[in-house]
Amino acid sequence: MRSRPARFAIRISAMAAKEVLHIVRDPRTLVLAFVMPVLMLLLFGYGVSFDLDHLPLAVADADRTPESRALVDAFTRGGEFDLRARVSPGEAEDLFRRGKAFAALVVRPGYGRDLARGGRAQAALLVDGSDAASASQLLQKADAIARAESLRRAAAAGAAGAPPIEVRNWTRYNPEGRSAVFMVPGLTVYLMALGAVLLTALTVAGEWERGSMEQLFASPVGRTDIILGKLLPYLGLGLVQLLLVVAVGATAFDVPVRGSLLLLFGVGLAFLAGMLGQGLFISVVTKNQLVATQAGTLSSLLPSLLLSGMLFPIENMPPVLQALSRIIPARYFVHALRGILLKGSGPAELWPDFVALLVFAVAILAVATARFQRRIA
Amino acid sequence: MSPAPAPKLLTAYAAVVRKEFRQTLRDRRIMFMLIAAPLIQTVLFGFAVDFDVDRVPTALADLDRSAASREQARRLLADGTLRHVLDVRSAAEADRALDEGRAAAAVVIPPGFSEDLAAGRTARVQALIDGTDPVRAGAAASAISRFFAAASGDVGRDRLAALGRAPPAVEVAPRVLHNPRLKTAVYVVPGILAMLLVVVTAIVTAMGLSREREMGTLEQVLVTPIRPFVLLAGKMTPFVLVGFFDVVLALAAMTWLFDVPLRGPLPALALGSVLYLCSTLGVGLLVSTFSSTQQQSFLGAFLFVIPAVLLSGIMTPIQAMPGWLRAVTWANPLRFFAEIARGVLLRGAGFGDLWVQLAVLLLYGSLILGLATARFRTQLG
Repeated sequence: MRSRPARFAIRISAMAAKEVLHIVRDPRTLVLAFVMPVLMLLLFGYGVSFDLDHLPLAVADADRTPESRALVDAFTRGGEFDLRARVSPGEAEDLFRRGKAFAALVVRPGYGRDLARGGRAQAALLVDGSDAASASQLLQKADAIARAESLRRAAAAGAAGAPPIEVRNWTRYNPEGRSAVFMVPGLTVYLMALGAVLLTALTVAGEWERGSMEQLFASPVGRTDIILGKLLPYLGLGLVQLLLVVAVGATAFDVPVRGSLLLLFGVGLAFLAGMLGQGLFISVVTKNQLVATQAGTLSSLLPSLLLSGMLFPIENMPPVLQALSRIIPARYFVHALRGILLKGSGPAELWPDFVALLVFAVAILAVATARFQRRIA
Repeated sequence: MSPAPAPKLLTAYAAVVRKEFRQTLRDRRIMFMLIAAPLIQTVLFGFAVDFDVDRVPTALADLDRSAASREQARRLLADGTLRHVLDVRSAAEADRALDEGRAAAAVVIPPGFSEDLAAGRTARVQALIDGTDPVRAGAAASAISRFFAAASGDVGRDRLAALGRAPPAVEVAPRVLHNPRLKTAVYVVPGILAMLLVVVTAIVTAMGLSREREMGTLEQVLVTPIRPFVLLAGKMTPFVLVGFFDVVLALAAMTWLFDVPLRGPLPALALGSVLYLCSTLGVGLLVSTFSSTQQQSFLGAFLFVIPAVLLSGIMTPIQAMPGWLRAVTWANPLRFFAEIARGVLLRGAGFGDLWVQLAVLLLYGSLILGLATARFRTQLG
């Protein structure tokens, strides 16, 4: 006769083996679960960034003096702007509507004369603001170019020696401003939420849908065994995804791993447990795969993407959403991952995140299990 | 015995549409996710997505403690990009604040700042910036540089004016069209429309068909004299209508909550929506022909949705992508629908400005639907 814990372990591993068999028998799920992270990482690492250069610029130079040409040259020389068209001031708006230019530099007659007199000379920049993010970057760039041109003119006129105030910016953690370094922690969180919540929700809801859940209840396997057996394979899958994303990020994109890997996995485990619990809860409530998908997307994927600080700083959100973000586990995991990978933070800085993740995991698993027990009693 | 005569195409089609509508309407939860979920997403996105960086939490280390340093610091922190969250007493302490995440930027004004300034030497200021988020770091760095450059310019001009000379200065005065206050929501929300339509239609179609396949109901319908493409057309129709209804709903939310203007002709947007829905429904159908379970359908549809969203210009500008990736975006229906939505709503573009995008969507819609129908037929035939 085996001891109780031994029997418990056998039952759970039987359930887990059944689930692993489900996954392995049709490897398409597995392939998708692993191809997706790598694909997303490659896209973000190689392509998707917020950094703009070669912005299409239209120029309307009505002044036609050496000074005005120098200003146009200052705009296009550095590669930030590409001269796309020379137009009359009235044509600029038409170009915007057709999406042919982002900005138009308009130099009125008299620009060169004003400069030669040693005064302030003004040029106008029309900006297509429909893409607000690009427009504000463009404004920053135009501003810097105008400042540099101003300084050059002043220096040429023999006006300025050393500047009176000088500021030295020192950017830490990601000095080159690479999007991949910023995105990898956020993506990891998103992918793990996707895998853990949705795959669990779908597999459990699938058992209800097909009626095989009743068969499981008729077997000597207990409810807790069913839950643990269902969740364990996906816990493993999630950890492998975490490892994969961090490894690809570190090798292909030089994302640093400054903190301890053990800590990384500890926090990852706490996050995964919560996400699996959420998936279980959704499936118990919906019992339908299609509905479970949407519920999972709305309750976990969307908040992980929008409210976790993965893409958009939390401080910028309205207070209601800031408050809401406090109950989103992804927020704590994103913060912890960035800390461990980029800043080399240790337990001293990260224990609040860990505690928050743990509290969420325990609470949601308890609620889901209770609900699961009641459904069938 | 001769087979039963095939019913007229239109009768068969109407019958399938009626059946699908009943089936969809009966399940309240599916109706909820088809109609309420997109609305919730629009609202959430509109409020959460904000690329304007402001309120960057900033630590200040004023080690000079003079009237001049206090004045400069006050004016720097008053411009809105930076938000003063704590005072620290040394550069090392500022460093720690960054490490712990209590501040994302720190400005250190070293001792001797006002003395240097008064003596006509270059007074130096140091800024520490958390580069984790490149967009935020760039905005903070730019705000700090811009402020001190302007302050420096003022001081320089005062000095020259004292000598009776005026230096030349170049000023570029920007005027922003279409979205003068540069609100992100106005730009992002029309793009979100493209995103949630693809999520709703592609995933629901793919999973719905896989479900029928799992349950074997697809085979039952196929033994009836209804032709496969009539069956598919009937199955798609309710989703086109629901998707169209979502567009109207989202438009109402956009104009009401986020002040998105409606500048162009709505028929252009309506035509764009229908053509776009053909592509996304086609993708769902295509994915379902490659999947045997709903789980796979979901993952497969997601595998399309994620790159499609990333490469659409909705979240990040296409202009910022390398050339080869920009070429890939030409194959993405989302990109063209986002361009149509933004063009019509924000820039007042009409058929004349957008015919290329509309033609491309028509092409993709027929290609994808054609391919998917062909695969569907061979699989079942």
